[in-house]
Parts: sequence; structure tokens; C-alpha cells
Amino acid sequence: MSALARLPLLALLTLLSSSHGGGAGRLLRAYGPRNDALQGPHDPRAEVRQLAETGRLEEAERLARSGGAALTVPLGEVLLLRGQLAQAESCFTAAVRGKLAGQRSAEAALAELAVRQGDHAEARRRAEALALAYERSGNGASWSSEDRTAAGRALVVLGAADPESVREALRSFDAAVARDSGAIEPRLRSGDLFLDHYNAPDARASYQGVLALQRNQPRALLGLAKVFAFEGSPEAFTVVRRSLAANPRLVAAEVLLGELSLDAEQYDSAGAAAARALATDSASVPAWALLGATRWLREDSTGFAATRAAVGRVHPRPAEFYAAVAEAAARHRRYAEAVRFGREAVALDSSSSRALGVQGLNELRTGAMDSGRAHLERAFSRDPYHLWYKNTLDLLDELRGFRTISTRRFRIVAPAEEAELLGLYLGPLLEQAYDSLAARYDYQPPVPVRIELFRRHADFSVRTAGLTGLGALGVSFGSVLAMDAPSARERGSFNWGSTAWHELTHAFTLGLSNFRVPRWFSEGLSVLEERRARPGGGWGAGPSLLFLAALKGDKLLAVSRLNEGFVRPSHPAEIQFSYYEASLACEMIEQQWGRGALVAMLRGYRDGLATPAVFQKMLGLGMDAMAQRFAAWMRQRFAGPLKVIAPWDGKGPAQGELVSLLRDGKEQFEAGRRDEARASFERAAALFPEYTGAQAPPLMLARLARERGDPKAALAALARYTTLDESAWDANADEAALREQTGDVAGAAAALERMLWISPYDAGVHLRLAGLAERLGDFRRAVRERRATLAAQPADPLEARYQLARTLSLAGDSAAARREILQVLEGAPGFEKAQLLLLQLKGRVP
Amino acid sequence: MAMGYGLLAMGYGLWAIGGPVCLAGQAVGATHVLIVTGLSGEPRFATAFHAAASTLYDAAKARWGVADLSLVYLAEDPAQDTRIRGRATRENIAAGLTSLAQRSAPGDVVLVLLIGHGSGEGGNSRLSLPGPDPSAADFALWLKPLAGRTTILVNAASGSGDFLAALADSGRIVITATKSAFERNETTFAGIFARGLSSGEADADKDGRVSVLEAFQYSKREVARGYESRSLLLTEHAQLSDSVLARTVAFGTQAAPSDPRLAALYAERRALEAQVDALRRKKGSLDSLLYQRELERLLLDLASKTAAIRVAEARKP
Repeated sequence: MSALARLPLLALLTLLSSSHGGGAGRLLRAYGPRNDALQGPHDPRAEVRQLAETGRLEEAERLARSGGAALTVPLGEVLLLRGQLAQAESCFTAAVRGKLAGQRSAEAALAELAVRQGDHAEARRRAEALALAYERSGNGASWSSEDRTAAGRALVVLGAADPESVREALRSFDAAVARDSGAIEPRLRSGDLFLDHYNAPDARASYQGVLALQRNQPRALLGLAKVFAFEGSPEAFTVVRRSLAANPRLVAAEVLLGELSLDAEQYDSAGAAAARALATDSASVPAWALLGATRWLREDSTGFAATRAAVGRVHPRPAEFYAAVAEAAARHRRYAEAVRFGREAVALDSSSSRALGVQGLNELRTGAMDSGRAHLERAFSRDPYHLWYKNTLDLLDELRGFRTISTRRFRIVAPAEEAELLGLYLGPLLEQAYDSLAARYDYQPPVPVRIELFRRHADFSVRTAGLTGLGALGVSFGSVLAMDAPSARERGSFNWGSTAWHELTHAFTLGLSNFRVPRWFSEGLSVLEERRARPGGGWGAGPSLLFLAALKGDKLLAVSRLNEGFVRPSHPAEIQFSYYEASLACEMIEQQWGRGALVAMLRGYRDGLATPAVFQKMLGLGMDAMAQRFAAWMRQRFAGPLKVIAPWDGKGPAQGELVSLLRDGKEQFEAGRRDEARASFERAAALFPEYTGAQAPPLMLARLARERGDPKAALAALARYTTLDESAWDANADEAALREQTGDVAGAAAALERMLWISPYDAGVHLRLAGLAERLGDFRRAVRERRATLAAQPADPLEARYQLARTLSLAGDSAAARREILQVLEGAPGFEKAQLLLLQLKGRVP
Repeated sequence: MAMGYGLLAMGYGLWAIGGPVCLAGQAVGATHVLIVTGLSGEPRFATAFHAAASTLYDAAKARWGVADLSLVYLAEDPAQDTRIRGRATRENIAAGLTSLAQRSAPGDVVLVLLIGHGSGEGGNSRLSLPGPDPSAADFALWLKPLAGRTTILVNAASGSGDFLAALADSGRIVITATKSAFERNETTFAGIFARGLSSGEADADKDGRVSVLEAFQYSKREVARGYESRSLLLTEHAQLSDSVLARTVAFGTQAAPSDPRLAALYAERRALEAQVDALRRKKGSLDSLLYQRELERLLLDLASKTAAIRVAEARKP
């Protein structure tokens, strides 16, 4: 456990929420846009702030300067927004000393400014003074809403080292709203505080509360955009642009826009956003971090060095700069370098929970489990409301109960009760995949490769993203892989073998490109390698009806924009489209330029080339020419089904002749018109042989064949289907049964083997496969299946162990058989079958 | 099952007496069985109840050799199957138990399996039947005449948990499918328990007999596994009143050797089994190589002895 006891997640969330006066949502009544900081159209303070809020900073400054002492605080606020920190500080100091209007806001601003400048002691001194005054006044009983907000701001500053102050801060913001129900600022501050602690739902409620009062409030829109970004929603782009439309000088919005662009590998846009942000506030560390990350990711070492120097001039210990660059590096899968930047951040400010947290999370991603945990513990001790840290530490606690199975090059980490079973299959598969991929890519990633399997998808999600809800099946951090165990999902929903193969491929493509491969290419290669993993087919995705409809309707992304499909999908189906489309692009390159071209492309990325240069240099094609060639290739590849599929309208399901044919077949089948149904499905199968799904023509044809007593035809249809759908449990089970009935022992065993990669937990499958393997004389496989039966914790473990001993004996491994049978008899001395086997093993057959 | 070794070993000396039901440490008598399936409510429950009841009925008849008059199956619908003796009413259960009390003698084993849906709580916990529902207190009354027999009452119904406190007594094993009256979801215990008691799957020590404890532990484990495999929260937690007694009562067949030569072989085998057990108990204090060597030697002797018994039995006229 961590140094601080960690509350259950739900309790933690409740803790942060319950202190929030019933939640922002309950406060949303039909209030006017006024608050006591914006007293009305004739209030000069309000006018200055309104001008600043809409980005008219020069006008705001002029007006503030013309207003004398009464506008000292608003002037300081405007100067702060323009990055004139020294002048802003003078204004706030003067306001405090002169006890001018907004004095407490000035005190809070001075504390925040000290934080910004890295002077934590000064920040704490000022914040404590204000928080103490607030407390002594009966929690601001007679204070205005603005003053209560100021107290809350001071408490947020104190919250960096004192978690209890975070709750107090939320209470102060609630109190500010209670004093002025139309107040904007405390709601915004609450939202920011929630978001800082990864509590997106409450943050969203706070921002929406503001937007209900002011529809285009730029900072509320920014907050909402951050919530969307946090959730991985493409809405983030739209909303942050709305924020910038309302306030084009909002530096934090430019930074977010830049970060989103950076994630989409749109470096020009990211750099431009950083430049705009710095033009407004040249002292903004986040803006410098955005610029630094952009330059670093573009391999612009000179520019990056200049950025480091520049940020050093505006901040004496810019830990946040390095933490932000580390985060950007990690988002681009550059985990080792992220660790390096994180180390610099921690060296500059070892009290920064962000720096410690970033460092810890990235160390965990690179397999440095102990060090990662230690950093995360330290981060959590400073920020115990941080959900990511808490979830990850909880998961690390759980990982302590996992078991590690080692092979030559892999460490398989899985829940203790499943580890042996999963390791029986995964170990040999990963070793085989490593050899196969090493030959194909002429590269060997560092070993050992650690692969973690989680039986709860939420745990995998936390390991990957810090929070639950991630949709993916697996993730690769290079030589650390994580994925759902087959028990994490419903049987038939995925193939855990192809998933492991997919993730391991990332270790090769990331490593070979020195972690510079763009997402689309890495995913495309991984999906392609899934299809290559099993000669004769069986693994990997195929085209869906909707994909082909999208192809026909020109709704697929061009190759040049494929990355957007992963990082910023414009509709829910786009990410799946992008995986498959990317794999097709890789397939075409392999087909037309040879396998070496794919490897050369990865090396091109390793050498710092961007995608257009990689295409040009390795394939001799510009982006447009490549896009055209690829589009033509796809249309040729799927020419048959495309003729009978209607173009997709971007919304509903796929339509067209093929869809009608499938629908007709189903209706005919249900109406008992078997011959017509058969004709429909046969035609559909001919038109689109790769179609998979519950109503796939081969499945329906197999059903019809069985009904009419034609097992041969049923088997032929099933056999077609099981090479297409890697998760077809029932079809494989049916095929295995039919093959057993017809005496095709090898075929039945192959079908059962496929079933194991869909779910390895069915003891009956292991038993049958063991028996078939024995009949085939494949004792190695039979022994594996006996071991699997035992690892699956059967109802009758002694019988299972006896069977293992018997098979070992058949396999000629008398020593192992003897060891097993002695174990059996130690537990059950009177077990007669086992006694007999012992006698046989010792050559004392009666 | 490691926990069972000591007592089972103690019992080896007596188990040679034979009979369908083996009681360690005492003479073995006849076995009597009452099976009751209550109101089903839905066809799927009727099917499941009957399947569990039939499994146990067939094992009692075919494997344990329970006499017809000592095997009573009462069900919601007597027309459902010829094995069903009568309708599962409160009166018929009382009559059935009275009859078994009259037919049985001290030293006999009486197994009562109740399958269905439960209601109520405490002593007022009930089994849902056509007509009035009998309570735990009713069963306490009906079981009194069975004093001196070893009675095993298994209430596999939902909400059966409070039967345990109401009925637990010396010489009586009470098993319930749930830990309280408030676990009222449908249960899966009955079918699994019947399978465990009547097949070799629950025979953890592979001695050819299934003790009540083995059947209980098997059922508890398999019930949990069933829920887990369906990703469901476990809503039935079975409980057992007397694990010591449950360890000594076993179901299975073993012929008693009348041939003195065979009897001697059996005795020699029991002696070897006792030596194995003694060795196992010293495992922690012995050098592992020495232990393994000695274990293998004893197990080989034991296996040879069994082989000799089988050869001798095969030669019997």
C-alpha cells in the first residue's frame, strides 16, 4: 500500500464531490449574467474584466490605467494575462498595501504568481495568511463572493501540499456561489480544480453551470474542451475553437488547441498555436512547453535548445515545462525519453506532484516497476485526490498478487489463478511471434518483454490510461505490453492470441523506428501481422459491410489523414475503419514494393523523416499520388462486393443489394422457405466471401445443410467461415464436432486449437483436444492439454493429474510421469488407476 | 483433501466391513433416502429439480443398493416420472419420514434432500410445496424419531440458510444451499450436490467413496465456479453444520471380503495405507529426498497389494 491509505475510488470521488455543496448542477437556476466582480455596464472594474475576457487586452489595459487606484487589481490581472509578471506583481502589492478594492483577490493573485515563479515558500506564506483570515472570519461569513473566491484560490495554492485544503477550496467556491448565485469565477475555479484531479464529470457540471449563465463564456468553453480532450472526444477541437472565437487571446485555449494538434501529429498547427499563445503571454510556461514539445517531436534540436533557454529565462525552475514535454513525449509513445524529461522535472522541483506523477507513470510504462511505484507514491502523497495516481497505485497493489511465468524472452504477468493456463499457450506463441517478426523486420526488440494480462478490463484500462473506460484490447509501451485476459471479455468477442501478436508487433515497429513511427503505420502493421500470423488465415480483421459502404461512399480517410482516425475520429466507426484501412495500406505497400519497403519506411521514421518524406524517399510517391494509388487499389481489391453495396451516407447501417440479399435470406429461412434461403445465401457468399457476423452466409448455409442432413456441405461452409472470423467460437465448435464425426481427427484438433485462442477456459475442449492429440500421436500437444486441464482448476484435480501422468508416460517421459503419479498417490493412496500406472512405470505390471 | 487424511486413515480399519454407506468408527447399517422437490413455478425449475432428484435417486438405487421401500421421492407432479412415489405435500413428507424412522434402526443412515424454493426465516423458514409449506420447526419435529441414526438433511432450496441453526443436532448433518434466509435467488446447489454425491468427481481422495464432506466441498466449489463463469455475483453460500461427522459418512460401494485370504490382503493393504498416512504427517520434518523415496516405496507396495487383491478376487469362483 502507499504511504497514505488509499480510499476506494468511489469514496474518493464522493469526497471530492460531496464537499462541493451539492454539485454545480443543482445551482443552475435562471440567474442573470451578473456577479459581484462584474457589477454592471457602468462599473469600470467590470468593464476592464469584460474586455479582458473577450481578448481585448490592450483596451482593457488602457481603461484600467485610466481608472486610478480603484482599478489597480483589474490592471494587475490584465498585465498578468499579457505576461507582464513584474508589473502585475507591483499592482497586486500596491492593492494589498493600500487596502484597495479587490485587495483579497490581489492577495490570492500574489500567491498564484509566486507559484508560477516557482517560489513555493512565498506562495505558501501568502496563501496561508489569506486562508487564515478567511477561517478567522467564520469562513468569510461577511465576505463578498469575490473575496470568498479569493480565499478558495489561496486554498488551491495550499492544496499542492495539503490535500485537505483542496476540499476547503471547493467549499469556499461553493460559499462564493452561495453569496452570489450568478457568480462565474468560483464556478470556473471549481471546474478547474476538479479537472486538475481528473474528475471529469464534476468538472463538466461546473463548466456547464457557467455556460448556462453565459453561453459563450470562453474559459468555461475551454474547460469543457479540456473535459472532452480528457475523455478522448473529438468535440474537444470544436469547443476549444469556440472558446478562442469568444476570446482569441486566451492563452490556455491556444495551448490546448496546440496540444490537440500535436496529438494528431499536426506539428505546424501546434507550433502556430504556441506562437500565438506566446505573443500574448511570453511568460507562459505551458505555451513554452507546447513549443518545446513541438520542436522536440520534429527533431528540431536547435529549436528545442532555444526553447529550453527561453523558458529558463521566465522561470527559475521550470519543472512544469519538462513535465509537459514528458507528457507529450509519452503521448507520442516516446516513453524512454519521457522518463528522461520526467527526471529533469523532478530534479528541478521534487515537490511537484505533476512531475513526480509523470515520472512514475512513464517508468511503469517502461517496466521500471519499483522506481515507478516509488515516484507515484510520492506524487499521491502530495495529491491524494488524483484519480490516475490512485487507480494506478491500487492496480500495482493488485499486481503484487499476480504471478509471473517466464520464457526465454518474455515475462507473462497474469492473475495467479490464470497465469499457468495462459502461460501454457502464450509463452510458445510469443516466442514464435518474436522469431517470426524478427525475421520479417530484421530487428530484435530488447528482451525480456513484459506482458501483463488483466482479467478485469477496468484494470487494463487503468494500466493504460489511468482511468477506466478505454475501449482498446491491448496496448504496447515498447517492451511492456498490457492486454485484456480472455476472461476480461465475453467469449467470442475477441481473440487473445491475435491481440498478443498485434501488441508484440508494436514492440518491433516502435523499437525499429526508435519510437517515431506514426500511429496509423504502427497500427496498420500490427493488424497486417495479425493476418500473417496464421498461415491459411483465421486471425486478424476482415472488411465489414460498413467499411466497404464507407469506401464506396468516399467516407474513408485519405492515407495522409489516417492518423486522425486514431487520435481524433470524427464518428464512432472511424477508429475501426482506420485500423483496417491502415492495414490495407501496409498490405498494398508490401504487395507492390515488397516487404523491405515497410522496413525501410520504419527506418525512415527512425531517421526523423515525416510521412510525406518517407513516402517520397521509400516509395517514390508524393502523398497525393499515394492516396490515389491506394484508393484505386482498395476499389480493385473489393471490386466484387462494392458492386452490390450502396455508398454509405455517414449515418445509418450499410445498404444495397448485398444487404437486401442477406435480409431476404434471413426472412426466407425464418419462413421455412429453405431452398430460397439457400439460394440467397449462396449468392451473398459468392458476392462477398469475406463477410463475417452472426448471419454470415457460410453460417446460415451450414445450418441449412445440417437441417437437410448434409454434414459434408455443412462442414465445407463452416470450414470456410472459421478461416475468416477469428472469434467464431460456435462455428469452430460445430466444425470440430463434425470433423470428429467424420473421423477427421487432425481437422477436429485444429478447430479445437482455434477455440483455445478465443477462450482457454473450457475444460471440455482441453479434454477433447488431449484425446485427439493422443490419437494423432502428437503427445507434446496432448501433454500441454493435460497440463491446461489441470491449470484450469478442474472439478476433479486428481483425475486430471492422473491423466497428465498417463499422457506423459505415452509421450515417453517416464520421469515426469512418475513425478506426477506420485503426487496423485500422495493425495489419494487408494486411487487404483494411479496405482496401476505407477506399477507400469516401474515395470511391475501384474 | 488434506484435511480429511487423518480421520479417513482412522477409518480405514473399519471400512472393510463394506456396505453402501460407510461410517468411520461405527458399524455400518442400511441407507434410507427421502427426496422432495417442491413447487417449481416455472418449467425450467421443474426440469432442473427433477434432474437433480433423479440423479440422486438413481445413484441410491443402482450404486448404493438402497432398498425400494427405503427410497422415497416426492414431487410436485407425481405423474412426471414413475420414480416419484407421491405428491410433495407437508403430510406426505411427515409420513415419509415416519415410515423411514420405522424402517430404519440405530446405526443406519438417513439422507433427506429438499429441492425447491424457500421462504420465511429462522425456525419459520419454509420449503414451498403444493398446499401448506412445512417449516424448519416441522422438520425438527419429524426428525426426532430418527435419533440414533445418522441423519443428513440437505436443504438445497433458496433461502434455506436458517434451516441449519434450527435443525443442527448431534448425530445429524445439516447442509443448506444458502448462508441465510435472505439469499433468496434461485440456487444451483441441488444439481451439483447430487452429481457430486453420486459420481466419482467429488471423490477427492479417490478411495471409491464420496464422503458428505467431499460432496459438500465439491458442491461449494463448483457452485462458485458456475457463477464466476457466467460473470455473476455469487448469491448462494452453502453451509454445513458438522464437518467432523460429514467426513466420516461416505457413499459408495465396497464389497466385504468373506474369503479369509482376501481379508488378509485387505488387512495388509490397510496397514500400508496407515503407513502412508503416518509418513505424510511427518513430511514437514523429514528430508524431502528421504520422504520421496520412502513414499514411493510404500506406494509401490500399496499398488502391488491392490493388484494382488484384484488378482485374488478374479480367481474367486
